[in-house]
Amino acid sequence: MLMRVTELRIQNFRSIKNLNLELGKTTVFIGPNNSGKTAILDAVRIALTRKWGQRGTGFTEYDIHLATESDDPKVSPGVSIEIRTEEEQPGEWPDELQQDLDDISQLDAVTGKSFITLRASCVWNAADAAFLPAWEFLNAARAPLVGRSGRRVNLERFWQYLPVFYLGALRDADDEFSSRSQFWGRLLKAMEIPSALEARVQRLLDILNRKLLQADPRLAQVADVLSGATRVAARDRAGSVDLRLVPLKSWDLLSKAEIILRNEPDWPWLPLQRHGQGVQSLSVVFLFQAFVEHLLAELYEEHSVPVLALEEPETHLHPQAARTLWAHVNELPGQKIITTHSPYFVQHVPFRDIRLVRLTEDGTEVRWLPPSFSVQVPDNAELAALVGNNAQLLDFDTATQTLTVGGKLEEPLYRDLLTCYGIHADRAVISGVLHDLKDRSQQFISDDELKALETYARRIRGEIFFAHRWFIVEGQAEYLIVHALARELDYDLDEHGVSLIDAMNNGNPATFAALARAFGIPWCAVFDGDQAGNQYIQSIKDRDFDDAYVDQRCAVHPNGDLEGQLLADGLEPELRTALNNTGQADAMTIDRPTLELRLGNSKVHYAAELAAMLRGNPELAARMPQTFRDAIGGLRGLA
Amino acid sequence: MTDNLLDATRIKLTEIQKRAVDWNEGAMLVLAGPGSGKTQVLTCRIARLLDASREKSFRVLALTFTNKAADEMKERVAGFVPGLEERANIGTFHSFCGQILRQHGVHLNIKPDFAIYSQLDDRKVVLEDALKRAAGEGQPLSVDDVRYLKIIDQLKSLLIGPEEAESKLSRFDDKARIAMTYKAYENDLHQLNVLDFNSLIFEAHRLITKFPAIAARYRRSHPYWLLDEFQDTNDAQYRLIHALAGDEFQNVFAVADDDQIIYQWNGASFRQIQRLRSDFGVELIQLPTNYRCPPSIVEAANKLVSYNAHRTEAKKPLQAGKTKLKFPESEHIQLLVYGSQEEEAEGVALMISRRDRTEWGQTAVLARNRSLLEKIHQALQEKGVQAVIAQRRDDFLSPEFRWLVACLVQTVRPLDNRNITVLIEAFNRIAGIEVSVDQVIADAEATGHGYFGTWLNAAKQIISDDKHSKLLEMAGRLADEPFAAKKMLRDLITEFRATLDGDEPDRDLSQDLKAWTEIGRDIAMHVGGQAPLDQFLQELQLRSKEPTPQPGTVTLMTVHAAKGREFDTVHLIGMAEDILPSYQSRQKGDSSPEMEEERRNCFVAITRAKECLIISRSQEYRGWSKQPSRFLIEMELADTEQ
Repeated sequence: MLMRVTELRIQNFRSIKNLNLELGKTTVFIGPNNSGKTAILDAVRIALTRKWGQRGTGFTEYDIHLATESDDPKVSPGVSIEIRTEEEQPGEWPDELQQDLDDISQLDAVTGKSFITLRASCVWNAADAAFLPAWEFLNAARAPLVGRSGRRVNLERFWQYLPVFYLGALRDADDEFSSRSQFWGRLLKAMEIPSALEARVQRLLDILNRKLLQADPRLAQVADVLSGATRVAARDRAGSVDLRLVPLKSWDLLSKAEIILRNEPDWPWLPLQRHGQGVQSLSVVFLFQAFVEHLLAELYEEHSVPVLALEEPETHLHPQAARTLWAHVNELPGQKIITTHSPYFVQHVPFRDIRLVRLTEDGTEVRWLPPSFSVQVPDNAELAALVGNNAQLLDFDTATQTLTVGGKLEEPLYRDLLTCYGIHADRAVISGVLHDLKDRSQQFISDDELKALETYARRIRGEIFFAHRWFIVEGQAEYLIVHALARELDYDLDEHGVSLIDAMNNGNPATFAALARAFGIPWCAVFDGDQAGNQYIQSIKDRDFDDAYVDQRCAVHPNGDLEGQLLADGLEPELRTALNNTGQADAMTIDRPTLELRLGNSKVHYAAELAAMLRGNPELAARMPQTFRDAIGGLRGLA
Repeated sequence: MTDNLLDATRIKLTEIQKRAVDWNEGAMLVLAGPGSGKTQVLTCRIARLLDASREKSFRVLALTFTNKAADEMKERVAGFVPGLEERANIGTFHSFCGQILRQHGVHLNIKPDFAIYSQLDDRKVVLEDALKRAAGEGQPLSVDDVRYLKIIDQLKSLLIGPEEAESKLSRFDDKARIAMTYKAYENDLHQLNVLDFNSLIFEAHRLITKFPAIAARYRRSHPYWLLDEFQDTNDAQYRLIHALAGDEFQNVFAVADDDQIIYQWNGASFRQIQRLRSDFGVELIQLPTNYRCPPSIVEAANKLVSYNAHRTEAKKPLQAGKTKLKFPESEHIQLLVYGSQEEEAEGVALMISRRDRTEWGQTAVLARNRSLLEKIHQALQEKGVQAVIAQRRDDFLSPEFRWLVACLVQTVRPLDNRNITVLIEAFNRIAGIEVSVDQVIADAEATGHGYFGTWLNAAKQIISDDKHSKLLEMAGRLADEPFAAKKMLRDLITEFRATLDGDEPDRDLSQDLKAWTEIGRDIAMHVGGQAPLDQFLQELQLRSKEPTPQPGTVTLMTVHAAKGREFDTVHLIGMAEDILPSYQSRQKGDSSPEMEEERRNCFVAITRAKECLIISRSQEYRGWSKQPSRFLIEMELADTEQ
């Protein structure tokens, strides 16, 4: 791809206090309503268009983030939105683009990659008694560029290369397919009709009009009566009125063009507006594609890349359609920034493209699985040498004084980094910064691990990102029982946004614990009280969790595995009944060892029966394993 | 006539000029004699390159030696290809380096809004402060070491940084001390975010050699380079070009005349032309036809310069190409001899005063050095002839404009305590008051308020008259709303202009007003009218604050200042040994490089004349009798002396 927004920094904008985001070719934002997703999309739109400068759509004090209700927006440091676009490979931007944007383009002196940073800001200006928007390009140290680079023309040029298109959640096919709409209207206007054909159309229209008028004499009489209007209005000369039964010009014909479609070969053709909402909404998305493919280079630059801000592409779609939609949206030209509420849509989105948005005390927060972690530390010779010796993991940018670690920062390397600043005057501050880097890098999840998850966790991965809390269990039997039990304990998991993850069917518990940490999702787990269960706990601890924290989050059944625990809890009669209900007629009479064996062999079946038996049976619920009941009880306050 | 000025101009070019204009890829050196139409060639080539690439966005880079030349070229290109001049990046070496550093200097920790100190006094203060600080930190330095500033300048112009200064100064006993002084100076410049003139090229060179990717960027964005007056390029400038070009880049188009090298003292050298030829494998073409001077002057110039050994081999002699001549041949070169320097001044002034007034604006008096001009200037004024000694002026003359600029600088650089000193002292002079600089700085630091505001308060307490209160009030608005600087500027200028209406107009102020207007227009043309304040100030620092003379003014200038200029009538005075050639060059020997440079000085001087050249000499200068200049003999003019 030529150009795309690689980084976004937003400050004091609506629900956002301070947000730094990396964006990919496609980025999908997930989060509850009012968490700040639209603010992120709007921020991109504002930075890349004139929206703030236009009358009517001007900036208001409501756009300024305020920590409390009594804060005065006029004393706020103001909104700042920074957009950075950077080459993926040095020299990737073509000559034309590079030359055109030469004044504003900066260079990463180490990697040789070009980049451009644009800041849109809006601060209260006392002199003008208004919020004044300003756009400026920044240098590598994020200070405004001056001189030639500060000229207004650069802004227009830059926008020309990164045109932004916004498709809101409420996509109305009537609007989007009107002759004045952003895509359809411009497509129609761009159509080139040879003048010979145009003249022919004109002649045919005239003939048609005449024939229609002749078909019924009353039409001519109506026209005659109407011509009285011109006599009254024009006074001096008699005007004339004619009836036009068909369009006057070929543009009038074109402007009325509409999409008709049919779902099955022998169904009637129907205009788009007569189809369901889902088809209409979807058509608008595809209209964008047609626009980009046929008109973008003509209206913008050859190397322009559209940035599509797309809200809820799944609107009105059937789950099956929502699921396949991802592939289409991902294939759309340009860069896509998407919000969604559909687990089906998310099911196929790569993990690193997902951003979880939530509202916290500090404003909107976004969590994701970064491939690297950065801090700002001062340059020095020791650091340069260390970075040089660990080039596969470490990187240092002198202009921004940014150290980046492309994975987990292990203890020995962390110590080496500290040593670099052994005699530095600010070493206390720097070691704090490095410690924070080390801590954050513990959240690193490698590509290999994510790849495994893509394979095994496909079934549940759509929904888990919409959950507020995760409850990790081993398998499907636990899944069935805990679900039923929670409902009987008056804490319906679905209702409270808890995802119950049967980890063994979807990967392994440690990965989910690490994912939960990275995404900031509160979690708990219950495992079997056997060797395997204890190994799970150990494997979680090995992911650089604090031991005590893991012990607090994870519980094991005191009496071995699930069946062992259920039997120990005196549920033998219920288990025999459950087995019996599954068609094992001898279940009521087999001896205990056989029972244990049978239970182990038909886990899912007995669990489903037990779950059914739990419904409306508080007495049974009260006898279920304490570990489950405690964990469910703990979910309420889990943070 | 063709409606297209570029086509119309190209048709009129000679074959050889056309070849230069139509040159595409590869390195080319155009040896262009005086008056050979080199500016036409340069501007036509730029215009042609732009015209042929209307769909493209690359820029053409053209480097000149003066802002005036750059502005003129830009104007001509704009005339040829209206609307495309935006893609012509024309400027001086210094302004181009400023441009590089503004955009990429951050990699050397240079902030984009750096100030440029062009005045020696400013730089001395920086060094003195640096030395005081260093001494305070226990370094064995003292304020007296400010004497090293000149050596520091030389080191920097040779691209030698403070780190390597000591090793390069092996001949000096106090090399360690010099290096330490240099370090302290650079350190303080850096702290102040200030660059001096030499730093511009030094830092730009350091930047692109340290980060070759930046040079590669410029090669990509500027695929064609044109170098005007290449013979004046010094070592640092050449190395900058070479570093920027890297190993592959070839599209360098240089226009030079090795017979016009007169900046040898500044490092310009015939060697640069040789380096260019070997480094870039240039194609050489010559433009020997002179369209400016009458044939006898061309002939004299050829004779003169043939005495020089350090020239391009196979350099063609000039050919006279001027067809329309105003005067008969006998008047093309005249030689006058006077008994004394005073008589010479008197005689030349008398000649000029007798000529028609309308010719004064096209008359120049040239001399090897400024002191000769002062006598003529006086003599001309006594005869009621308007005359001005043309000279680069680094600062405004009037306290009003010094104060105005200082106010602007203070809004951009509120912590600059050197500038607040200038500001306070200038206003003290305007208003006749005594606000103490030290007091303002001490108060500001004690209260934590800005310098500007603190000074305003101090001054307001003393000022009571309307006129000066008004100025303070405007400055106050400037301090409050730097955004509104433009309007404030207009108001202040109107205010200054009003004070000129009195009976005795302040000459300095009226000169400054004129210069200010001209500079404003030039900067607007160069960087656009909407240039932000900090860039405006950077451009302002780079430009001379000397206004163009009134029409009908005789121009008095040194030979060096006359470079690139032309006049109908040229008086070349002081054609005696020890004057031209200078005493110093004679000391170096008859075939020394210095003597050759003097010869080129003479060559440049005589080739300024479009219609007639009047050479004069006195038999004595400053009480010493002097022989006729050897150049008179070399030009075979001596025997025509009357």
